[in-house]
Amino acid sequence: MRNQRVAGPALGLAGILLFLLVWEVVARAGIVDQRFLPPASEVLVTFFGNLIEPGFYQAVGETMLAWAIGLAISTVAAVVIGLIIGSSSFLSKATYSTIEFLRPIPSVALIPLAVLLFGVRIESSLMLIIYASFWQVLLQVLYGVADVDPVAENTAKSYGLGPLARARYVIWPTVLPYLMTGLRLASAVALILAITAELIIVSRGLGYQIALSQSGGAISEMYALVLATGLIGVIINLAMRFIERKTLSWHSSIRSEVVA
Amino acid sequence: MKKSLMIGLAAASVLALAACSSGTPDAGGDAPSTAEPTAITVGVIPIVDTAPIWLGVEKGFFSDEGLDVTVQPTTGGAASVPGVVAGSYDFAFGNYVSGMVANDKGLGLKYVTNGNSTAGNPDFGAVIVAADSDIESPADLAGKTVSVNNLSNIGDTTIRTVVDNDGGDSSTINFVEVAFPDAEAAVTNKQVDAAWILAPFLDSAVANGARVITYNFSDFDPGLDVSGYFTTLKTFEGKPELVKAFQTAMNKSLEYADTHPDEVKQIVTTYTKMTMDQLDAMVLPKFNVEFNREALTKLGKAAADFGTLSAEPDLDTLLP
Repeated sequence: MRNQRVAGPALGLAGILLFLLVWEVVARAGIVDQRFLPPASEVLVTFFGNLIEPGFYQAVGETMLAWAIGLAISTVAAVVIGLIIGSSSFLSKATYSTIEFLRPIPSVALIPLAVLLFGVRIESSLMLIIYASFWQVLLQVLYGVADVDPVAENTAKSYGLGPLARARYVIWPTVLPYLMTGLRLASAVALILAITAELIIVSRGLGYQIALSQSGGAISEMYALVLATGLIGVIINLAMRFIERKTLSWHSSIRSEVVA
Repeated sequence: MKKSLMIGLAAASVLALAACSSGTPDAGGDAPSTAEPTAITVGVIPIVDTAPIWLGVEKGFFSDEGLDVTVQPTTGGAASVPGVVAGSYDFAFGNYVSGMVANDKGLGLKYVTNGNSTAGNPDFGAVIVAADSDIESPADLAGKTVSVNNLSNIGDTTIRTVVDNDGGDSSTINFVEVAFPDAEAAVTNKQVDAAWILAPFLDSAVANGARVITYNFSDFDPGLDVSGYFTTLKTFEGKPELVKAFQTAMNKSLEYADTHPDEVKQIVTTYTKMTMDQLDAMVLPKFNVEFNREALTKLGKAAADFGTLSAEPDLDTLLP
């Protein structure tokens, strides 16, 4: 087990190093023109240079603010709506086709609508982020509610637990692992949409800095920022997994991991 | 769990409130004039072409007219027309064909001042080909694939006219969309036969061996105005004092920028990622106060001839 603990991160690190090596070789060997894809070493120098720039953290802060607000709103909305729809078979059937119709619509296709509704403001980014991440959470909550053990539900009913108590003690524990999965998926989607919105609509944050570097011909700066967004994605995922483990420490999916 | 979720939500709502309060423009305590300055937002693309407004704000030309300007960078022209129509911007920067197209669709835009004009020969925009290409003149572009940043806009309109004037048949050109930063790579990798490209990418492409086939703005008309600052007809008619103040300050900025190229370059380094070396190698646009109506009439006619517009634009509606 100790070996596994070490091997996981070590393998991950090796993967990243290999990726950087391939990138370096592809650029240095001239397979792609260095003017259009600078070698990894050059981009990494710019990347570490960024880490001491206050402007970089301001951009990260702006992106993360849109991310956090968007994710919070979509999660709350999806949990509330998911619990309501999921607990009624009438509502489940009535909304199924609508959800399946709306869910695959790419959020970026809504950019013109967002700009018309909210103008070139953070509300437009939020609309894209919320639309994309809402479905991730909603579907998981719906699956979770559907997974509630009918025996447990009926037992609770016959013991006289009211709807609120049943939601708290029967439905919520079943839904929680699903919700955590949805949240993890949504957090990545929200980051992608936050940066997309900054690239195209609201000129602030990391997405805007990427666009600015591109339009100014600062190519290694652009790739350094792209690296930074990737890294933020990894950090978010790690944080979400940590939260998942903490909140679900009682759950068999997590406990079995520890035992094995 | 419930508790940590609540804390998270509380934190998010605090952040949201902070975002709202920081979003309102702060007038600051240093207003010397007795009247309260009018806060306006102007949407511009952060490129060399918009240097005059950044310079004018820094020089105080706008505060002299009682305007507290927020220059809001937009990443593409796509945001400027909807931004003005939706009311996010009071004014925005955009090329004249974009404005003509918007009015052709009934959006009711009005240009209030000029923005930038062709620099002549050499210019800040050109059609380039790879060093080993067999394309030698604009007429040779007929039947070839040429990239522009946006279809049915000022690029293909001017290029087609130049090709037709050179004796080529421009209707046989296959125009494709490639963004300016990617255009040189598209030519190098033979994805397109020729590319329309603007500074600073034009200058680095030429330095790397690309050949210029036409400076399409100045070859279209040596006095062509390329872009200007526009607003909605509603603002133009409803707030004449605001428009007048903006025009006065903006025209002062254009004049100043045209006679102080070093200050233009200096200010460009503050809002783009361009370096002084890049800017020194680059041809700056001309910044004219007067509209060249004759050239713009020609531009509108060409856009209508090529089907970009359904009819020739009414310049009396489009220009002040």
